[in-house]
Amino acid sequence: MSENDSDVTIMQFEELPDAPPKRRLKFSWTGKLGIAVVVFWSTMVLFGPYIAPYHEADILDEALFIVPGSDELYPETDFQPPSKVVFLGSDYLGRDTLSRILFGARTTIGISLVATLLAYLMGVTLGIAAAVGGGWLDTGLSRFNDAFLSIPHIMLGLVVIAAIGSTIPLLIILTGFIYGTSVFRIARALGQDVMVSDFVEAAKVRGEGLWWIITREILPNVAMPLATDFGLRFVYIILFISSLSFLGLGVQPPMSDWGSMVKENLAGLPYGSIAPLVPALAIATLTIAINMIVDDVSAHSGGKLAKRMI
Amino acid sequence: MLQAILHRTGVGVATLIVVSVLIFVGTSVLPGDVAQIILGQMATPESLAALRTKLGIDQPAYIRYFMWLSDLMSGDLGVSKAGSGIGTIGTPISEMLYPRLMNTLRMAGVVSLVAIPLSLSLGLLAAMYPGTRLDRIVTFSTLSLISVPEFLVATFLVLILAVYLGWLPAIAYMSGNETGWQLIKALAMPTLTLVIVASSQIMRMTRATVLNVMSSPYIEMAILKGVPRKRIILRHALFNAIGPIVNVIALNLAYLVSGVVIVETIFAYPGLAKLMIDGVQTRDMPLVQACAMIFCATYIVLIFIADMATILSNPRLRHPK
Amino acid sequence: MKEVKTFQQMHRDGQLNRRDFLKVMGALGFSAVAANDLLIASKALAATPVKGGTVIFANNLHGPDDQMDPIVFTSGIDYTRGVCTYNGLIQILDDMTLHGELAEEWTPNSNATEFTFKLRKGVRFHDGSKFSADDVVWSMSRHLGKDSPSVAKSFFANVTEWKKVDQYTVKAILSSPDSDLPIKLGEKQCKVVQKDTVDFTKGNGTGPFRLVTFQPGVKSIHKRNDDYWREGANFEGIECTAITDPIARINALLAGSVDLVNNLDARGIKLIDQSPGAHVNSTPSGQYGGICCLKNTAPGSSDDFVKGLQYIQNRERVVRSILKGHGMVGNDHPISPAYGADHCHELPQRQYDPDKAKFYLKKSGYTSAELFVAPVVGGIEDACLMMQNNLRKIGFDLKIKKVPNDGYWGAVWMKEPLNVVTWNMRPTANAMMGIQFAPGGAWNDTFWNNERFGVLLKESLAETDQKKRHDMHCEMQTLVHNGSGMVIPYHTNILDGVSDKIHGIKNVPLGSLGAYTWPEFAWKA
Repeated sequence: MSENDSDVTIMQFEELPDAPPKRRLKFSWTGKLGIAVVVFWSTMVLFGPYIAPYHEADILDEALFIVPGSDELYPETDFQPPSKVVFLGSDYLGRDTLSRILFGARTTIGISLVATLLAYLMGVTLGIAAAVGGGWLDTGLSRFNDAFLSIPHIMLGLVVIAAIGSTIPLLIILTGFIYGTSVFRIARALGQDVMVSDFVEAAKVRGEGLWWIITREILPNVAMPLATDFGLRFVYIILFISSLSFLGLGVQPPMSDWGSMVKENLAGLPYGSIAPLVPALAIATLTIAINMIVDDVSAHSGGKLAKRMI
Repeated sequence: MLQAILHRTGVGVATLIVVSVLIFVGTSVLPGDVAQIILGQMATPESLAALRTKLGIDQPAYIRYFMWLSDLMSGDLGVSKAGSGIGTIGTPISEMLYPRLMNTLRMAGVVSLVAIPLSLSLGLLAAMYPGTRLDRIVTFSTLSLISVPEFLVATFLVLILAVYLGWLPAIAYMSGNETGWQLIKALAMPTLTLVIVASSQIMRMTRATVLNVMSSPYIEMAILKGVPRKRIILRHALFNAIGPIVNVIALNLAYLVSGVVIVETIFAYPGLAKLMIDGVQTRDMPLVQACAMIFCATYIVLIFIADMATILSNPRLRHPK
Repeated sequence: MKEVKTFQQMHRDGQLNRRDFLKVMGALGFSAVAANDLLIASKALAATPVKGGTVIFANNLHGPDDQMDPIVFTSGIDYTRGVCTYNGLIQILDDMTLHGELAEEWTPNSNATEFTFKLRKGVRFHDGSKFSADDVVWSMSRHLGKDSPSVAKSFFANVTEWKKVDQYTVKAILSSPDSDLPIKLGEKQCKVVQKDTVDFTKGNGTGPFRLVTFQPGVKSIHKRNDDYWREGANFEGIECTAITDPIARINALLAGSVDLVNNLDARGIKLIDQSPGAHVNSTPSGQYGGICCLKNTAPGSSDDFVKGLQYIQNRERVVRSILKGHGMVGNDHPISPAYGADHCHELPQRQYDPDKAKFYLKKSGYTSAELFVAPVVGGIEDACLMMQNNLRKIGFDLKIKKVPNDGYWGAVWMKEPLNVVTWNMRPTANAMMGIQFAPGGAWNDTFWNNERFGVLLKESLAETDQKKRHDMHCEMQTLVHNGSGMVIPYHTNILDGVSDKIHGIKNVPLGSLGAYTWPEFAWKA
């Protein structure tokens, strides 16, 4: 497109009215519940360690578990049911499950959130760049991305952690990178779809700059599917870290992380201990809450119409 | 089309080479080598040196890489370093791979036969009636299942179905002469676990993509025209949502082939994913490479199909200007 | 009643004599008459071994590095396959006595520098060829020499040569006296293979089972060798596989999907005890979980630091809570009571004492340290977390760096200043002490070189007087207890899970499931 053409087109479309005002975002009761749960866990991220009854590493004394009147000097401390001493029971080492959940909120949500954001920053930027840039940029980025994506995630994690050692920054960068490759594919596919749509064609004809097209046309139009994906990606990262702990990697003990807590307490399951279920429940509440919010946001942009059909 | 296939094949080969280099670099930065792993705690510098010579891993890394590459070109996957011990003949990798590849394909096939129709229909159902109780129930249950780690699902199933009820075996161990019913029983539990894991994601993405398409102008047009909603969803929305959905399915299939380490471990099912992890843990470079090549090729083919579907479902992409 | 059945089985299998059985039954509340009836009933169970049946054994580990070459056997699944397929010269049975296998008898010369072995005649390999002295000389010589990759070669460092005398006689020539040579030949790596074997995956041995299928990292299938040279081999077939996840392994046993498992997680014991259909075999052993503080570098070079770590071990609680009672407290040296007469019971037990620990750590000047931990033995991570917590309470910051098992022995052990370690029980206290603490030895993993220890090690090997030998061992254990960089909080029992259908498994402290001798002696009924 030549300079002259764009001058003309800008003149032609200058007097177009602004886009219609956005509808106000309204949440359903599930969405509101989701927000409440997310607010709750965010509070725990900030204050959890201060309100926890014990330290996350604290292996409780056997004396705490002596039933009054019993002559047993050394009662069992692991996989104990909820009591006044341990409100949510004790774990496989005799640590307080509640305290570990509260400490673990920071680790789990912190790592997953930062890693997910990193994945999005990387995946969306490069994905849109590939979709917009096309040609050799697209081919180069896509093939490189495919190469990484075709190696099983857990394998990549295993090799990197075994070679470098497991630290929290490494976990964040690693998971961010690994999941960034999936985000890249989705963002690129969505971007390509939008790039060939009428309104982008129109904008091009109108002579809008690349940056304008990306920020005004592409990003708004890929935001919704990406939001749905974000909700899932977040939980995948929590689960990925728990699968690393299955292979003996993951966060360093005694630090607690919800996914790893499920794994380390799995032996309590046949004994009817709730130690593996509490962290699983914590992950589930957070996952469902985030996705409920995402659903409401997406219903706001697209679902409304479908709703009208019923 | 033919040109596209040829082009993609070329690109695929390039990707394979990139992956093989990545894998090679990755496994060679790991601490220890295969000789060290075989001898373990009892290794001494002399015995290590002797074993390295016998295994042919005393040459520089890049030479070993090119030797491996030239063998591969002539169709030879090589011999497992770890398995060869100190005898002069080891287990050929192709012999190790074949039964496990079949196991993996069998499992992935059964799981996708169940999971894909199930999750597509649930996803469409939820998208047809968004915001209703049906949608909420489907959404809620898939989200709950998504958020449970695989090993918890698997252990739960084993405790209930194998240990307490005794209906199914606790592991997918096979002596090799199982037929019919025994085979189904052996595979039932890992299949069930993977169906649960794989379905939820496909279902979520189906629902989201279809809903997204529902907001586009031509659907609005169709609604205004008075086309029945079932028709809209099945004829218009689904067809236009095929691209992203096929992509998610492709990624899930790739995962079923290469990423099901935990399920293979818990059920002691000898598939490829566990083999590759074993290969990494024993620093058995040719074995890891062979697995990586299979995974990468699978992925490339699946992604190619997904990309084709995306292009075919979007006329504008079909006829680029 | 579950307990009664277990004790009946123990009595039948010879682990519990008549008097003890009646005593136990009395304790359980049975009258003398009822107890006697139960005793008779258990004898009825105790019928002679039954032939037939297939058994599935699930080891805790396997992989592409599964071997059929005896000299590089390193895991339980290798050992089991070795016992199925091959024979050794000499076998160690449950009371740690020696029995001839392919060697019918053996005689040392007067100063134990030359051993003559008379070999069994009429033994054939699975391919039909005859077994002879050539095979023994070839097989045993593979453990010799600096270049040998044999993992058992440290035992034979003083063997200069194996010599064929005639078709059925061989001689071992030693450079220094070693009356323990025969017991070392009972080790799992000392199997006899056919001379000039190239392809070990065929498993051409003289053993009780023929190798039908060998898939490394998947399974192996063995069928009874009908031409076996002695009675035994009760099973029709044996299948060996592995379930690496500890919980899945227990569940597979409970669901009856497998018959035998090893390396049980102590937390699963109660579950197996409560369930019908399976029981736990717990054998006190010399295997231990420990922490190496390297003496040639900081912080282990400070004796006070090591003392601090030793006093912060809550050993009683480790055994009670982590091992669920299936172990013994360690006394910072490797020789547990399972080593019998060589164990130094006179040496006072080191107790948990946070005040002393605090005192010594303060004196050492260190306030933090980093410990490398890999799951090398049951309970070690948990014991380290317990230590870390105890240290936290006295104001010392111990960082735990968890690393994977693979590559651990090459990259971490004997390299990082603080790391965890395990040693399996060795057949003799001398072999154990020698391998880990011989001054300048290849496996001296704390780099503690003590001249006096080296002298005692040599002298005790040649000492025949029991009392003097015990005193020498006691002095060695005291030296290690006080001076080396080893912290040994516990010795773990060998924990195996056995289906109630399988009988006749012996308890041998050297390894799981009768030190892996079960394929030949156990039966299914």
